[in-house]
Amino acid sequence: MKSEFFSGSRFWTYYKYDLTQLWRNHMKAAVGIGLSGLIAYVFVVLLSLIRGIGWHGIPFDARFAIMVAAFAALQLYQTRTYGHLTDKSKGSAWLMVPASCFEKWLSMIINTLIVIPLAFFVTYLAVDSLLCLLDPGIGTAVASKISGGLGSFSSGLVQVNGTYDTTWSLGMVVGILLASYCVNFLYYLLCGICFKKNKILSALGIAMVTGLVLSLILGATGLESLVEAPDYEDFASAEKDIRALLGTLTAVMWIVAAGLAAGIYFRIKTIKH
Amino acid sequence: MYYFTNTHKDMISVKDLSFSYGSKGVLKNISMELQGGNIYGLLGENGVGKTTLLTLLAGLKKPQSGSIDTDGRAPFDRQPSLLGEQFYLPDEVAPVPAKAADFGLERGKLWPSYNHKIFLSALEEFEVSPTQRMDKMSAGQLKKAWISFALACQARHYFMDEPTNGLDIPSKAQFRSAIMRYTGEDSLVVISTHQVRDLENIIDPIIILDKEDVLLNASIEEISKKLFFDYGNEIVPGALYLERTPGGAIQVYPNTTGEESKVNLEALFNAVHAHKDVIKALFQ
Repeated sequence: MKSEFFSGSRFWTYYKYDLTQLWRNHMKAAVGIGLSGLIAYVFVVLLSLIRGIGWHGIPFDARFAIMVAAFAALQLYQTRTYGHLTDKSKGSAWLMVPASCFEKWLSMIINTLIVIPLAFFVTYLAVDSLLCLLDPGIGTAVASKISGGLGSFSSGLVQVNGTYDTTWSLGMVVGILLASYCVNFLYYLLCGICFKKNKILSALGIAMVTGLVLSLILGATGLESLVEAPDYEDFASAEKDIRALLGTLTAVMWIVAAGLAAGIYFRIKTIKH
Repeated sequence: MYYFTNTHKDMISVKDLSFSYGSKGVLKNISMELQGGNIYGLLGENGVGKTTLLTLLAGLKKPQSGSIDTDGRAPFDRQPSLLGEQFYLPDEVAPVPAKAADFGLERGKLWPSYNHKIFLSALEEFEVSPTQRMDKMSAGQLKKAWISFALACQARHYFMDEPTNGLDIPSKAQFRSAIMRYTGEDSLVVISTHQVRDLENIIDPIIILDKEDVLLNASIEEISKKLFFDYGNEIVPGALYLERTPGGAIQVYPNTTGEESKVNLEALFNAVHAHKDVIKALFQ
């Protein structure tokens, strides 16, 4: 007798099905967004040839910026990945699939946080590396810079705060990036399965209002001054405070991510058609 | 009915079920019992809550008060074991970006009793190509593909909302044939429909819903014992319903002689609506 909450074999059967649907309906979009670097490259080269200024590719900084922008677009796209749940016929069909709410939730989380971003990054970085190989004039590939530069990324932060002779914990940087990544993806996923229409606009609207309220709260509590202008006179104290603040922010973000994940579960559990 | 040999007698018990959309009440203190081995015809005017009742039975909505018990389980809990034993077919089915055969193979794995041979066989009966993409099908073809899939799932409980909507004339006959052939002897099928003539020969018992009320829940045998359907030319005074036809008339009146007659569902529906209290008293 299988558990009504979770069964490994049932989950695996469901997950394979969900992944197939994801591939069929949304993976092309994720890969398409991942091709944005190539599209931009082709556009710039064509433009430079038309203008008669010779062959000009895109330098590293621009390609990195395009990747960040494309990644932001991918986050917004999460409103659509499972957005069909709010559609009467598609949502009913999904709800009637014989898998538990937890299994559907788990599959959704895996696909949203791992599979789709992975498809995007693999596509973007592979295409970028290929471009760098074919056109060495455009500089280092984003992938090689990331893989070889996590340490220098950390020391880059030291250079930003150049007056301080200290190193920042790589774990702390990765922790906050990972937490904010989870918060963003889960937030847009939740908005996608809650709003029936104007999913992206509604999500952005709520994000803006939330940001405004949070900055007001930060301002009222005096924490804002610590973020914007640490005590330069007393370095040790400032560093300690900023570390503590970053630690707290990371913890808060993980709590928010957990809350969003719980919200998604609750939404799946209670959705009606 | 040669594919399925389920000997389990299923039952759905609805007790004091109420549901409303905001201030607009739809179902009010509805109670009924649905037994396995029957194909229930759920009839009613527009907006009386047929689809709402079906979605409540399937677990797509939560009862606001009262309860639904499906073999000891509440449908809204959406337990996988219950979902694997039932199928809800909505009026408007979703297009799927896949070939029908692939759709059946992929989705069918989720239903424990799914039989791909039945799916292909039903598709063939409906003259739908298994290699055709479902998102390129016409509305009628898509409906037939979903009906084929539903039947291939070999569920114990079927909830079908207007299944013959959008089907052409031959497909309606094929639907009746497929329902009789591929559902198990003990399956419980509830079909909501306005097209009573499409399903006249297969639905039994009949449930007629009214605004916040169940006007009738009776088998064809019971109906024919209590009401007489007169197809003769002689007009009987005091008939509950009279409809003149080119060849004579259809009249419905209480059966006082015990003589059997063929139940005409349209005439029955109109008689029930014209004399709600008389019919309710007659069948209580």
